[in-house]
This record gives sequence, structure tokens and C-alpha cells, in this order.
Amino acid sequence: MAETTIDIRTASPVRHAAEVYRRSLVAHLRSIVEYPADFWVMASSGALWQILQFAFIAILFANVSAVAGWGYHEMLLLIGFLTLTGGTTAMLCDGVWSIGSMVIKGEIDYRITRPAPVIVQVASTHVGMQAFGEVTLGAAMFVYGWIGAGLSPALIPVALLLLACGLVIEMALMTAMCAVNFWVKGTASIFGFILVDLQENVMRFPLGIYPAAVRVVATFVVPLGFASFVPVQILTSRLSAWWLIGPPVAAAATVAAAALVVRAGLRSYDSAGH
Amino acid sequence: MPILEARSLSKRFRRPDKGSGFKGALKHLVQRKYKNFTAVDAIDLSIEPGESVAYVGPNGAGKSTTVKLLTGILQPTEGTVRVMGRDPHTERIANAHDIGVLFGQRTQLWWDLPVEESLKLLKHMYGVSEADYKARIERFDELLGLGEFMPALARTLSLGQRMRADLACALIHDPKMVYLDEPTIGLDISVKDRLRAFLRQLVDDGTTLLLTSHDLADIEEVCERIVVIDEGRIAYDGPIEQLKAHYITTKAVNLILDGPADAEALAEKFPHYEWSAGEASSEVTATYESSRFTTAEVLGDLTAQLAPRDLSLSEPSIEDVIRRLYAGELTK
Repeated sequence: MAETTIDIRTASPVRHAAEVYRRSLVAHLRSIVEYPADFWVMASSGALWQILQFAFIAILFANVSAVAGWGYHEMLLLIGFLTLTGGTTAMLCDGVWSIGSMVIKGEIDYRITRPAPVIVQVASTHVGMQAFGEVTLGAAMFVYGWIGAGLSPALIPVALLLLACGLVIEMALMTAMCAVNFWVKGTASIFGFILVDLQENVMRFPLGIYPAAVRVVATFVVPLGFASFVPVQILTSRLSAWWLIGPPVAAAATVAAAALVVRAGLRSYDSAGH
Repeated sequence: MPILEARSLSKRFRRPDKGSGFKGALKHLVQRKYKNFTAVDAIDLSIEPGESVAYVGPNGAGKSTTVKLLTGILQPTEGTVRVMGRDPHTERIANAHDIGVLFGQRTQLWWDLPVEESLKLLKHMYGVSEADYKARIERFDELLGLGEFMPALARTLSLGQRMRADLACALIHDPKMVYLDEPTIGLDISVKDRLRAFLRQLVDDGTTLLLTSHDLADIEEVCERIVVIDEGRIAYDGPIEQLKAHYITTKAVNLILDGPADAEALAEKFPHYEWSAGEASSEVTATYESSRFTTAEVLGDLTAQLAPRDLSLSEPSIEDVIRRLYAGELTK
């Protein structure tokens, strides 16, 4: 079996980190085979949860024709978008949820002594299996909503860019929230749960239904709006093309913020057992 | 030039100063008080390439904290560390290529993956070539018997297997400076022997080693130099042989006589030895200064005059010396 090894002394650090990330995730995907029952239970629970959400929207729209001006298919587009980025986040960086327990048990130690970014090593230690169900259902809702809302296929590249930005924002925010556990010494990532809760309950609806203060905070302070609501508004022509600048800028800003939080967290890390 | 140099290295931790019980915890919520705790106190340590250094001390002396400071896991409160001229904390990634680390109490194996997968992930992380990787795995298999559990999941390994696999992980990139924090903890004698033989080989091959252990056999068999730390400070730093020569100044002859032995009477008869009674009434021990008498002289003297039924020689072990160092009886 011929495998290529990157010469890490000459390769760029980013490329090396990406390679470490990829290999670690692939190794964990392979290890999922070790627990097939686990995989199916988790994946179907993820899918079931999304089916419930879908049923909720279907029942809602059986009684009303629009929510804050959003029709049935547009709502599915929004929820599909959110579920796709959320599910992919759980697939790609579920390991950040264990920052809390790793800090308490001193399991960051070895990762500091290895030649790859610590957060890359931590984030890739787990693959959220429920995400397989979520991503499947999310994609189905997104495509169904897309067709039902009559969006042009010409918008597909734009949608892919927006999905990528949404994913980056979601991953960066999740990392920053879970990294709070560098200071809050506990195994449960409370801030991570808050983020998931916001995504699943608040961001599922058009922000128009909320008071102005909530809209501003959710768009510009915690830029969740740029991870789903603004992109879908762009796709459904509610916002002008100028808004396309927003998601990449928000993505860059959240990545920078997450990097700062993680860096500060690592500085304050004092291991376990002296 | 030393491969590792620490200068006035200190680490203080801030610990919450809570009163006892629920009341204390409540009070701490409102009125936060902290105590500073000095784990490592102005340590100077310099290690030359190829040296094998034992770093010993009682529990809580600051051994692990020192290792974490030297490996860049912790940032020093004061002082500096240089490993091959680099600061391990700020130049973390460059430093990582040159060091290998093992914490005996923890594993670095990926828990749900086969041992082989963990090693392969590390191979790629360190950028080890396929040829080097194969050669090293072969060597580890030969010396540590790695092959038998390469396909096993890390969580199914016995402690001895886990430690051997972890050692392979720490050395897969052929590091120049290796830190082993209690590599034999909890292992049975045969695995310990195997590990020590492996470490000796490592030292013979020129790897620089810093080893902490409570097992003094590890230290005597693997290391030439010993650094004793107590309460965050270095209590002794020098060759093990010198520690023995310096502190082991007496030897003893244990005698079993035909009749009851009277230590006091013997002390009058042989005043240049120190006498103490043994466990049984016929047993007695004569202690003499090894700089004044040779063992042959003492034996000749005693056997001629006392005609003992049996006798044995004993000298204080390195263990005794270190026990006395810990107890503060000896100072540098």
C-alpha cells in the first residue's frame, strides 16, 4: 500500500494541519465499524429528530400560509440549510465537546507535545454519528424546499459558497463556545448546548418574527444570522447580491475570534495533577 | 552545549482557598480567596546530549510539574527553559519534533482505534518516512514485543501492553530528547525488566533521557546521573556513583553466633566498630567505616575472634540514601 507522506518540514503548516485533521477523522470513521449498532442508533435518532421538525413545519403550514412572509418551501430551505451546516459541524468537529473533560483530566498534555495545532487534534477525536441522519434529512429538506420555492439551478454555486461560510461560522462558534471550558472547569459544555439550542429553536424561524434587539444580536454580535438566515434571504432574493459579502466576512471574523479564545484557553491550561 | 537548560525555573499554582464543607463552598462563591502554591521553586538544570538523568523525589515534590515545564505543556511562572536552544512553550511545534514524551499514568493512544492506527496517525503527524517507520516498528517489535497487540484496540490492552505501545508512540519519530514520567508504574517484574533493557539500549544509542520513577531499580539500571527534588527544590544533583560514594560511607557485617550475642559486651571488646543487636538473640551487626577498614580486615578480625556460625555483608542501598535525602537528613 503506497501512502504519501508529506514532508512536514517543507509543507505549509496549514496543509499539514489539514492532513492531520483528515487522517484522524478518517481513522475514526473506520472505527465506527467497530460499533455498528451504536452508529445506526445514533444516525437514526438524528434522522428521527429531523423528521419531527419536518412534521412540525408541515402541521404549522397546514394552518397558516406564511410565517413573517416566509412560505412553506422557503421555511424548509431555511431549516434544511441550518440542519446541513449543523450536521456537518457535528461530523467534522464533534471532538470540541470533549475540551471540558480533556482539560479536567489533563488530556491536553500529550497534544501539546505533538507537532500539530492542539485544536485540530482535539476537534478530530470524535465523529458525531447522529450527524449522518441529520445531514441526510437536512439535504432532503433543502433540495425539496429549493425545488418547491422554484429557485434557479444557476444559484447552486452561490448556495455552495453560502453553505461553506455557514459551516465555517458554525464550526468556529462551536469551537469558541466549547473552549470556554478551559476556564469553566466542567465536563459539560454549557455554552455549546446554548449554541445548539439557539440554532435549533431560535434560528429555525425567520428572524423577522423576533424583536429588533434579538435580530441585531443574532446577526452582528453572535453572527448566527450569517450562518443561515442571511444566506437563505439572499437565495430567495429578499436581500440584494451585495449581502453576499456578509457571510465570508462573518466567517473570517468568527474564525479569528475562535482562534483567540482557544489560544487564551491553552495559555491558561494548567494540566491535572502536579 | 547542553541539550536542555532550565534556569531558575519556578511554577506557582493558584488554588482556591475554600473553607470546609458546604458553608465554605458558599462563602467561596461570594468572597473568593486563593492561595499560591509553589510546585517548582527556582530550579536550575542542565542536561548534556546523551546523558541519562533520573529525576526523583517523593510524591508531590514537583517532578511531574517540572516535566510539564520542560516539555512546554505548562508555562513557567518565572525562569526559562531551552531545549536545543528553543523555548518549548512558544516554539511548541518545532520543539515537538525533537522531543518524545511518556506519562505513565496516561495514554496517548487513540482509545477506540487499533494500536497500529495510533502509530500511523503519529507517523503522519511527525512526517516519518515509510522506510524509517517500518524500521522502527520492527525494532520496537523485537525489543518490546509490539507485534502481538498491534491490531488490538487500545482500550482492550493490558497495562503492560499499553505502556509498551505508549513507549513506541513516544519514540516513533526518533526524538533526541526523551522524557519518561513513571514509565514502569504498575508493571510486573518481567515487563519492567523488558522496559529497562529497552531504555538502556536507547541510552546506548545516544538518546538523551530524563526519567522520573519511584522504582529505584529503574534509576540504577538506566541512569548515570540523579537529580533529587524535594518540595520543589533540587536536593541533590550528580552522578549516582558519587551519591553512593559520598553518602554510603559505612558497611555492615551481620553475624549469627553460636550462643546469645551481647552487643554491649562486643562494643567494649571491639570499640572501633558500631554494634547493634539483631532480630534473634544470636544475631548481631557490626557497622564499620569503609574508609578506615577493608572488608577483608573486618571479616578476618571477627571470624578469628568470634567464630560465627554464619555471616553476611550488607551496605546501605541507594534506596536508603534517597530515603534519608527525602527525610532531610542529608544535605548537599
